[in-house]
Amino acid sequence: MAIIETEKLTYTYPGAEKTSIENISIKIEEGEFVLLTGPSGCGKTTLCRCFNGLIPHFYEGKLEGKIQVVGLDVVKHPIHELAKHVGLVFQNPENQLFALSVEKDVAFGLENLGIPRKEIRQRVDWALKTTDIYHLRERPPYELSGGQQQRVAIASVLAMQPEVMVLDEPTSFLDPLGAKRIFEDIHKLNKELGITIILVEHRLDLTAKYANRIIIMDNGKVILNGKPREILDSEKARLIGIGIPKVTRLYQFLNGKGMRLNYVPLSSEEMAKKLKEVFKQ
Amino acid sequence: MSMFEGLKFRKVSSPIHDLDPRVKFFYVIAMFAVAVMYMELLPLIVLFLIQVPLVTMAKVTKQWIKSMRGAAFFASIIFFTNFIFSYLYQGQQALPSILEYSMAMTLRFIVLVESFSIFFLTTSPDHLGLALEKSHVPYEFCFAFTTAVRFVPVLAEEAQTIMDAQKARGLELEKGNILKRVRNYIPILIPLIVNAIRRSLELAEAMESRAWGATKNRTNLYELKLRRGDYILALLTVVMLVLAVYARWHIPIPRIMEIFPWKASR
Repeated sequence: MAIIETEKLTYTYPGAEKTSIENISIKIEEGEFVLLTGPSGCGKTTLCRCFNGLIPHFYEGKLEGKIQVVGLDVVKHPIHELAKHVGLVFQNPENQLFALSVEKDVAFGLENLGIPRKEIRQRVDWALKTTDIYHLRERPPYELSGGQQQRVAIASVLAMQPEVMVLDEPTSFLDPLGAKRIFEDIHKLNKELGITIILVEHRLDLTAKYANRIIIMDNGKVILNGKPREILDSEKARLIGIGIPKVTRLYQFLNGKGMRLNYVPLSSEEMAKKLKEVFKQ
Repeated sequence: MSMFEGLKFRKVSSPIHDLDPRVKFFYVIAMFAVAVMYMELLPLIVLFLIQVPLVTMAKVTKQWIKSMRGAAFFASIIFFTNFIFSYLYQGQQALPSILEYSMAMTLRFIVLVESFSIFFLTTSPDHLGLALEKSHVPYEFCFAFTTAVRFVPVLAEEAQTIMDAQKARGLELEKGNILKRVRNYIPILIPLIVNAIRRSLELAEAMESRAWGATKNRTNLYELKLRRGDYILALLTVVMLVLAVYARWHIPIPRIMEIFPWKASR
């Protein structure tokens, strides 16, 4: 069974006239790395809020259709129960850290669940080491750089050992290098721990190579949903105006000029390798 | 405000920092009570001096001196108002005793600032929140307290950004009379408040996503445990309190000018 399954999911925020997401039917399998993208205001964040029950429990409004996460019906289970299975990392790292020390912040979710102190300590240390911020554990979060703060946010979600992690534009407040490192970390969580990742991102240049699947949304609807190479090469994706990786654009350009490369590259490394092969022939 | 500067916690490790906040708070309250009990200069000098070793032990001398310097302004106000009013009532004859009385009142204030400053300089807000929790204050309040402390620097930074932005659009903060100046701050306050509300919404979302309110029996990563140092401080505080109460009622307290004849001979 899929770890996330939605069927004709439609949602309207309270007081809004227009639906924010409409007829979303997607299936995400366990262990997948899904890249969710689309122009601003297309409903990506709204969809993310559905995955852990913020919609409909926190934001009221009108939710129609079905959504199941880790076998639980989101509408029938409170957020704190879903929080054990689905971790959400938000855009602004500053507004998701509340404690005065990093380790206390990472412990926050576990404390809320009433887990024994000894186990909290173990899981906090594990999460801090996995995200490479163990040395920062006693520092106050507001003294850290944006990248470090976002790492703390990821660690605090990771400590709850969720099966699914949803990251809503986690790098929009970060510099390119900080962003790149965060993506590498997320990839590691997916590869080594088998956590299902749903990453909302505009920077496809840096992330396309990690994804098993890309979902593109526009105007509240899923427009494209499939393998990265097919999606990024499609005419539709280009017309929506998402940031197609430059290497993919280069591939298309070369293709137009009659230079056949047998698959769509997703990263500059892949492209470089491909080009070298071609030039050798 | 430099007086409040001396109340800001910085992480240092020292035997005083490791003390249980509840015991430290008991000590502050005891200090407060004793300082209010006495109106004579001599015991207040003693109270002031016995706290100095605590400051040096906590390695916060620099910040502590800063807070004392900040308190100096208020201290001088207290001194002069006491002095002027007593002088007006009692006339010139009692000048030395008026002087001593005013100094005592001032020192009383300084002793209070001193003990509060020791408390806040050596107690992390995290521990303070934990102490509140242990004192059966509902967790929501403790959380609100630590979160408020955590967001002070964030909001201060934001206020600065907004001020710069509004100045860049031609807002002149330092212009006009007092009323005008207060009004100048409205374009800074409104975005600040709006941003704070938006921020609180995001915070609430993040809290919900981390299982806020999942169980009534919340655990805590840290634990407060009374150690040897805590018992020693508690014991010392009780002894001081008992001695102070006893001395207050049973021992006549000499005035400084009675001890030093050069003053008494006048």
